[in-house]
Amino acid sequence: MLAGGVAAGIFGSLLGLGGGVLIVPLLTLGFGLELRAAVGVSLVAVIVTSSAAAGVYLERNTANLRLGMSLELFTAIGALVGGVIAFLIEERVLAVLFAVLLGYVALSMVRQRPATAIPEALAPVDPDDEDVQAEVLRHLSGDDYAVRNLGRGIVGATGAGVVSALLGIGGGIIKVPLMHLAMGVPMRVATATSNLMIGITAASSAVIYLIRGEIDPYVAGPTAIGVFLGASLGSRVAHRVDLRILRGLFVVVLAYTAIQMLLRAVT
Amino acid sequence: MIGHPPNRRFEWRLGRMLIIVTYVAVSLLLVGVALMLIGGISPLDGGPLLDIPRLIDDLAGLTPAGFLWLGLLAVIATPVSRVLGAAVGFVRGGEPLMALVAVAILVTIGTSIAIAVATG
Repeated sequence: MLAGGVAAGIFGSLLGLGGGVLIVPLLTLGFGLELRAAVGVSLVAVIVTSSAAAGVYLERNTANLRLGMSLELFTAIGALVGGVIAFLIEERVLAVLFAVLLGYVALSMVRQRPATAIPEALAPVDPDDEDVQAEVLRHLSGDDYAVRNLGRGIVGATGAGVVSALLGIGGGIIKVPLMHLAMGVPMRVATATSNLMIGITAASSAVIYLIRGEIDPYVAGPTAIGVFLGASLGSRVAHRVDLRILRGLFVVVLAYTAIQMLLRAVT
Repeated sequence: MIGHPPNRRFEWRLGRMLIIVTYVAVSLLLVGVALMLIGGISPLDGGPLLDIPRLIDDLAGLTPAGFLWLGLLAVIATPVSRVLGAAVGFVRGGEPLMALVAVAILVTIGTSIAIAVATG
């Protein structure tokens, strides 16, 4: 389990994913855990890895603290809702949802293009505009970029929170494109800010799993340590690995895992 | 300059606090996993449920579950402590709106706990 966690951490770190997408299948298909128990453990592992990274991003002033906290209020609300829903729906449905998520991640990797700096020309906020939303956006913007589409950001962040709580993932796969493409946040800042938000998103639902007895300390301890070590190792060896080959291999693994999850749901 | 300038010193302190608390949590988990290995406990043996009144006895008795539970609680508390620290920083920095956002996040987490206790 420790070794599996290390592998999940390395892969996740090299491919820019949180560990959740890998930990849940590892624990359910590899160790026979129930899906809800695996989701609870995954949330804990996600908090460990994101917290360490978020600390570094804050120290280096890469993350946008004000934007991150404003959006994480809504991811936390979404996670609360998702955490409650997770205990109301059948595990089969959760397995199907997870298979869909894996398919989506695999497809995103196949279609991945090199990140551009900023998707569209920025429309700087008019300093004379006294509109409340413009004032809030100005407050949330960075030194050299303007944040826009706050409403879209709030809706997306809430959805990311629901998905995170249901499937045990950090939700970075939703938050990063949301901030980068919809809100005009540079990729580097979006990634750092997403990392910052993942901790609170996962903690909001992890407490529900914990209090309802779905987190086993004997499983969560080794898995979290493994993912933490793996993520640290992954970030050190990233420059030596051919990511195209790794990504191709990973797409195959994701597709296979998605099929296994679907089979688990229907049998 | 487009946006509101960040308070770099405050954010650096917040980041440092986050890193320290994370390493404390990971260290507790490491001790728990080491005690599991020493005791020959398999992860699939099924661990005990969280029993907070028993936690001190478990820690004093060097049981793996005690350290693992304390580590897991510390893990979950890590991002919460960051929000708490941010709330204090925003109040001191004269940013009442952001302080309110931080308090709202804490209230949301409190609501999660209350719902889980009520329905668990």
